[in-house]
Amino acid sequence: MPVKYHIHTAPVPNRFPTVIRSGVIAWEEGCLKCPKCVKRECVYGVYDKRGLDSRLMSDSLDSLCKDCFRCVQNCPNRLIHKALNPDYKNLGDHYWTPEIISKLWFQAETGRIPVSGAGYGGPFSGSGFDAMWTDMSEIVRPTRDGILGREYISTQVDLGRKHQALEFDTLGNLLSPPYPSVEIPIPIIFDILPWSPPRDRINHTLLRAAKKINTFSIITQEDWHPSLQRYLNHIMLYLTGDPEGFDKEILKKLRLIEIPDGLKVLEIQKWLKGINPEAVIAVRIPLNPQAKDRALELTQSGLEILHFMADEFGRDQGEAPLFIKDRIKEVHLHLVKNGFRDQITLLAGGGVAMAEDLAKLIICGADAVTVDIPLLVALECRVCRRCAEGIPCPVNIAQIYPPRGQARIRNLIAGWYNQLLEVMGAMGIREARRLRGEMGRAMFFEDLEREIFLPLHKRN
Amino acid sequence: MNKENLELNVAIFFCQQLDPDQDSNRRVIEKELGPGIKFFPLPCSGRIEPLHFLHAFESGADLVYLITCPVKSCRYQQGNVRAGKRIAFAQNLIREIGLDPERLILINIDPPLPKRIDLLTRELLEGAPVKGHSLLSRL
Repeated sequence: MPVKYHIHTAPVPNRFPTVIRSGVIAWEEGCLKCPKCVKRECVYGVYDKRGLDSRLMSDSLDSLCKDCFRCVQNCPNRLIHKALNPDYKNLGDHYWTPEIISKLWFQAETGRIPVSGAGYGGPFSGSGFDAMWTDMSEIVRPTRDGILGREYISTQVDLGRKHQALEFDTLGNLLSPPYPSVEIPIPIIFDILPWSPPRDRINHTLLRAAKKINTFSIITQEDWHPSLQRYLNHIMLYLTGDPEGFDKEILKKLRLIEIPDGLKVLEIQKWLKGINPEAVIAVRIPLNPQAKDRALELTQSGLEILHFMADEFGRDQGEAPLFIKDRIKEVHLHLVKNGFRDQITLLAGGGVAMAEDLAKLIICGADAVTVDIPLLVALECRVCRRCAEGIPCPVNIAQIYPPRGQARIRNLIAGWYNQLLEVMGAMGIREARRLRGEMGRAMFFEDLEREIFLPLHKRN
Repeated sequence: MNKENLELNVAIFFCQQLDPDQDSNRRVIEKELGPGIKFFPLPCSGRIEPLHFLHAFESGADLVYLITCPVKSCRYQQGNVRAGKRIAFAQNLIREIGLDPERLILINIDPPLPKRIDLLTRELLEGAPVKGHSLLSRL
């Protein structure tokens, strides 16, 4: 039996206090000096451990309190109040919500799956990835053992072009030479960060983490530095400028190279193949309404990987933007319809915020997913985008110590990996490769709405 | 804005109830003044402790402001009143250690002061006492 892929985790505390939903307002004036003070009786010892972080002026009350409200209810002189923490309210935006950010922090800190003991209190559908549910019908079957022991659930995926069918001559010799391929044990690749403070240390951190979990991190040609050579096996180089100006010795050693889509894309691919025939070449394509036709055209031209990119909110570039899952579904089904889907690898990225988004995007047709902003959040980013505006980063991410950052990203990906196993186990699927395009095992809100309400309208 | 005050390190503590869009509004000033200005929103100005001010001075602030809601408008009824008492206490501590207590300033937002944090900050820095760098920030 092959050795199971496993990501070892260890807690990595935050450099800065985390921001929680509510803040405590505890007034000292008017204290009755009760012999049994509610503050001393706090089961989490929040008041005993009280401290002030002078960098952000954040009181430890705002990061340690678990919102049990015992102190608020029991203080006889009503001196303790709770209020919405202004820093929490300002985390992220409408898409990267404070809830998502705080869950990502938790995973980066502990490496564990975030579980809320009080059940799910939110709505059952929403926009984007929330308009999709996965089939959990196998949740009670022994397939779940794959998560903890007996059966192996594989999350490995292959990146590269594949033959539709093998051809042999009359003597039984193989006529179709194998295409170069790269295997990654988890369907996640680290993408270029849409914004960040200066990236020297951040790139080292991402590459260390990619090496640790045995995947790839996309590094742009501008960000390339000779000190990154030790990570060549885990670099997917994005050639944004003139590829001929780049060091050919490096190109010869790379396993994955990415180029932007454009008129000369086939020419550049051919040129790169001439230098390094074993490298797998990916094409980065902005997601838009023409994506399905472009995907078919490039697949027929012999390309190996198509990497479709939505914006950071998961929207494509259309006039009425479609969400990434819907557009990728369209691309996947178009390739299936034309009989080319199995020949090409589809990568998709943009707006992937949580582990379930990863599974859902694969179900919609991506072979693997590229992740960006969650990696920054693992490094304690507040998604305030101050760095993009030229304002100093409040948590100084540029100065991250790479081994520490690596450990936090490793923890986050371990949490996502375990959640992917949970989803696959509950669906009764033991191969991430089989999860791809399994739309019959998922429900889509729009489809259900149509099925249920359309017949009602037909009466009139 | 007074040129000399532009070079000072300023810490501004303020109640979040003052300006609901404080996070986006304050960015203009943050960009303009860089690391010289730091904003610390509070759930209520009554949450402030003298320790906050001492830490701010210790971290190199030359001027420290605490901005509270108008009198009798505190959402928690007494937050701004208590904030006033704490600032008086902190000013005594600061005096005792040999710093100028006038570097710690309490502002009650009463008309005609604007509630938008960027406009308010400009106004405050405009009229700020010219004090130069504090003893601690010069160390």
